[in-house]
Amino acid sequence: MTSPEGLKQLLNRALREQLAATIPGESVAQLTRLSGGANNETWRLMWGETPLILRRRPFSTDAVADLEGNILGLSLVDEAAVIGLANETDVPAPQVHAVFDSAHPIGEAFLMGFIPGESIPQRWLADEDYADARNQLAYQCGEALARIHTIDCSQLPKTIGPTTLEKRFDAAQKRLHTFGDISPVMQFGLNWLMDHAPSEAPCVLLHGDFRTGNLLIDKNGLAGVLDWELTHQGPAEEDLGYLCTNVWRFGQLDKPVGGFGHYADLIAGYESIAGWTPALEAIRYWEIFAALSWGLVCQTMGALWHSGQGDVERAAVARRRSEAELDILLLIEEWNAS
Amino acid sequence: MKQDTEADVQSDVSADELLRAVKQFLRESAIPALSGRDQFNARVAANVLGIIEREQALRPELTMLDQDAAEKWLPRGAAEQDVGVEIARALANRQIATDELFVNYLKARQLLVTAINNPRYPSRMIAERRWRNSVDGG
Repeated sequence: MTSPEGLKQLLNRALREQLAATIPGESVAQLTRLSGGANNETWRLMWGETPLILRRRPFSTDAVADLEGNILGLSLVDEAAVIGLANETDVPAPQVHAVFDSAHPIGEAFLMGFIPGESIPQRWLADEDYADARNQLAYQCGEALARIHTIDCSQLPKTIGPTTLEKRFDAAQKRLHTFGDISPVMQFGLNWLMDHAPSEAPCVLLHGDFRTGNLLIDKNGLAGVLDWELTHQGPAEEDLGYLCTNVWRFGQLDKPVGGFGHYADLIAGYESIAGWTPALEAIRYWEIFAALSWGLVCQTMGALWHSGQGDVERAAVARRRSEAELDILLLIEEWNAS
Repeated sequence: MKQDTEADVQSDVSADELLRAVKQFLRESAIPALSGRDQFNARVAANVLGIIEREQALRPELTMLDQDAAEKWLPRGAAEQDVGVEIARALANRQIATDELFVNYLKARQLLVTAINNPRYPSRMIAERRWRNSVDGG
């Protein structure tokens, strides 16, 4: 594992060349690892007077890479390419300044601009200073998602291909088997999703992880959309349902959109850009799918830890599967009652 | 002078008490002394000890619930540690009717599992309120 000092030296060498024409500076200062992120490392640094963010994957994903489906996310190289496409729309996303593939001594990584704003949900979901921002946010999220969904899929890296629900179900089932079929509720949830599947809809580019915690908020509302590593293709309602699923409401369960807003505003914002109205029932379906997906992420974290990769946080996240299971049961019960 | 008796002075330390001692060390000594990622992980570690503590207390109840489920839904039975796996596989093969009785078992089990892993998970309170009567009766 590279030490912070070692990483700094590697960055100094690489960035003097790569940033020479774009950002004035001589060396990295204030290199600090930010908390959170069980998958990729996030570092903040100064290059001259410019604050920047480094996203870096410090470990091999070989242990789980042969699993079908994309649960650990894109390579950081592909993630950077998608952010580049998002920059061409009006979605507030950071600008990418440098990209390193896994053969580079830094490891797989990219360097992006720092967008001022608050990302920590516990702060902006509760603080009175953000009350106006919260009021507009569900509508703004609808607008941003609709814009992301307009990105031309033919421009995407080859790893982000179209898919079908059937393939998604197969991938989820295969993963549950691979992980030892340890959860009756996860299987119950997958069975229910298969039995209530909507008809296949056209694929659009989905952010895939558009939720409270991955959004930067300022006093005007949505300032930045981060963490594009779970980008994939699928039906538009999937992104909307994902934003509304229980685990990402951070305890504000009476505000279904990300713990801050209401369905009607999200749908209205989406419609204002897309020109069509997503159905609430479809959004609720994808909330249940998102709960299952979160459970699978937790299981993947456990598998990675067992393969010797990751610290105590990753082991602990494996236990959060039980939150997803609880939500699966609650949401299916609500669906049946509606 | 009163002589100390066995009841007055406890010299053995149970597993629960060891956990409490380590948690206290993490919270009072290690976490304040650490910073950055290490401090974050030390907080996670203290929470993990809480999971172990609660699992020790609630595991017998969970085992009873699973054994009862094995009798109801696994005709060939299953070893104590395999009940969850066998039920998941039977579900995957669509061999279990997911009627109210079965769903009530899943709910009761989930209330216990989340009581171990994250008793403060917000939707658990809703589930507890909504399900307590049905799972007790089931």
